[in-house]
Amino acid sequence: MAPDVPRRPFPVRERGAVLATIGAAALASAVVLDLRPGDLVPGRGLELAGRFFARALTPAWRSEADFVPPGTSPLPWNALEAAGTTILFAAAAMSLALVLGLVLGFLASTAWWADDPAGGRSPGRLAARSVLPLLYGAARVLITGMRSVHELLWAVLLLAAFGITDLAALLAIAIPYGGILAKVFSEMVDEAPRDAAHALRAAGASGVQVFLFGLVPAAVPDMIAYAFYRFECALRSSAVLGFFGFPTLGLYIRQSFRSTNYGEVWTYLYVLIGMVAAFDLWSGAVRRRLLA
Amino acid sequence: MSDARTAVIDALAATRPRDRFVRRSLAALLLLLAGSWVVGGFDAGEAFSERRLRNLARFLQEVRPFPLQGRDWDTGVALGWARDLLADRGYRAALHTLAISILAIVLAAAAGIPLSVLAARTLATPEPYLPGGRPPGRAVRAGWRVLSAATRALLIGVRSVPEYLWAFLLVAILGPIAWPAVLALAVHNAGILGRLTAETLENLPHRVPAALRGIGASRAQVVAVGLWPAALTRFLLYFFYRWETCVREATVLGMLGVVSLGYWIDDARARGQHDAFLFLVLLGACIVLAGDLVSALARRIVRRAS
Repeated sequence: MAPDVPRRPFPVRERGAVLATIGAAALASAVVLDLRPGDLVPGRGLELAGRFFARALTPAWRSEADFVPPGTSPLPWNALEAAGTTILFAAAAMSLALVLGLVLGFLASTAWWADDPAGGRSPGRLAARSVLPLLYGAARVLITGMRSVHELLWAVLLLAAFGITDLAALLAIAIPYGGILAKVFSEMVDEAPRDAAHALRAAGASGVQVFLFGLVPAAVPDMIAYAFYRFECALRSSAVLGFFGFPTLGLYIRQSFRSTNYGEVWTYLYVLIGMVAAFDLWSGAVRRRLLA
Repeated sequence: MSDARTAVIDALAATRPRDRFVRRSLAALLLLLAGSWVVGGFDAGEAFSERRLRNLARFLQEVRPFPLQGRDWDTGVALGWARDLLADRGYRAALHTLAISILAIVLAAAAGIPLSVLAARTLATPEPYLPGGRPPGRAVRAGWRVLSAATRALLIGVRSVPEYLWAFLLVAILGPIAWPAVLALAVHNAGILGRLTAETLENLPHRVPAALRGIGASRAQVVAVGLWPAALTRFLLYFFYRWETCVREATVLGMLGVVSLGYWIDDARARGQHDAFLFLVLLGACIVLAGDLVSALARRIVRRAS
């Protein structure tokens, strides 16, 4: 909460400068992209838009394809199955990402070795003190590389290298998410309040003990909250991976759209929105209680 | 250890916050993550079959720069190849990607701010902060509740659809121009910024806006003068944080046909130019990193100025 009586005047001038810069950047961007407001009125696409949005309130309950092979499951069941597959892909990828994130986050955190008081000159200690900064640097570089490539680009890369296989989808999400989790976890631990850590050190605990019992528990609620948020993002990414051929919701949306079965598209869309919104509400409730 | 000390420790342990909902939720999530491997039926073993490994070997060979394939590594030739690629497609694609991200986040902010006012529970009532002269009728109060709930539902719904899906729909309607990418990112992030700003507005201290209401300010005046200046710092932090994400997404939206980096990446892949393909993917990573740095710098400036 802000203090009742501020001690410094609010930076009015900087505020104007920041907003002006942002506005100028936006105008420059519009010029670079050669955007015309007139293009917003869909020409040929208007008919398609009309037909598509007309079905918004009447999603299909039955397959709209011209030919339905006998024995295919009914559409709502198909949609729920696709949602289940989406969740399973996201969950498996997230489990890999968590392992990567915890391991790399530990290596990328300075809190467990940086403040260690110079205790002992044994060759083991000296070796550790020269190796650890390198390990930290390598972890940081690896994490940055992993998280800078978008999960869809990882998917395209892995598809080109491995062909279409379940592992490609899992790794496409797990690698960047592992990097993001590692970065966020390491920052949370490094910025955790140090009171308990100092007390433990005063009682004579070693560096790793201080880290595990003094710093990590303080950061764990934030880490759990962030993990829930990341899983929600993983659900969305998993759905989109369907556009690339994997058996998640995106695949069916793309197929139905291309076949102009717009009622089916809306069915899948509502299932997708419902799935993500439900998870959003759940994770929001968890995060509110964790961070309170 | 003495009895007194164990008693103290037990007392401290008893006061630790225990939330049953949180613990059950965490257990459920971990169960889901672990159980997915059992239920999912993923055929990970097939990824390392003979045929796929040969595929991988061929791919790794093809990512060497084209003029260098079959020859020894020559840095000069590699640099020349990189320079040509950048001049031909790289710079323009990078510029377009950044432009899309900037315009999208600004539009998202423009839409998200008014929506946040409607979504904030403290503001979307007939009498924000202080009761007015006449108590409002039941219809008015119900109307505000519906409007507020509808806005919040809209923000959640818009947030739940991935940007790629929005862009896919808009490209089908508007064609492969830049608008679909900009609008897709703008709509999705308007939902996010709207929700975050609404929370910020709700959490601001009530003294100043209540005082303004006390002297007769309207809701708009209370927001503009009493809440917005205080919320601006937080808002700018969220703004730059979401811009960073927009840069990442803008690079891939090109794969739908919009002219951003993703378009050229897909183009190179389709033509079998795996060397250019990898180079452009790495260029995308550099753009994302640049965006990260600019965003971190901007956020530090904002934090230090406040």
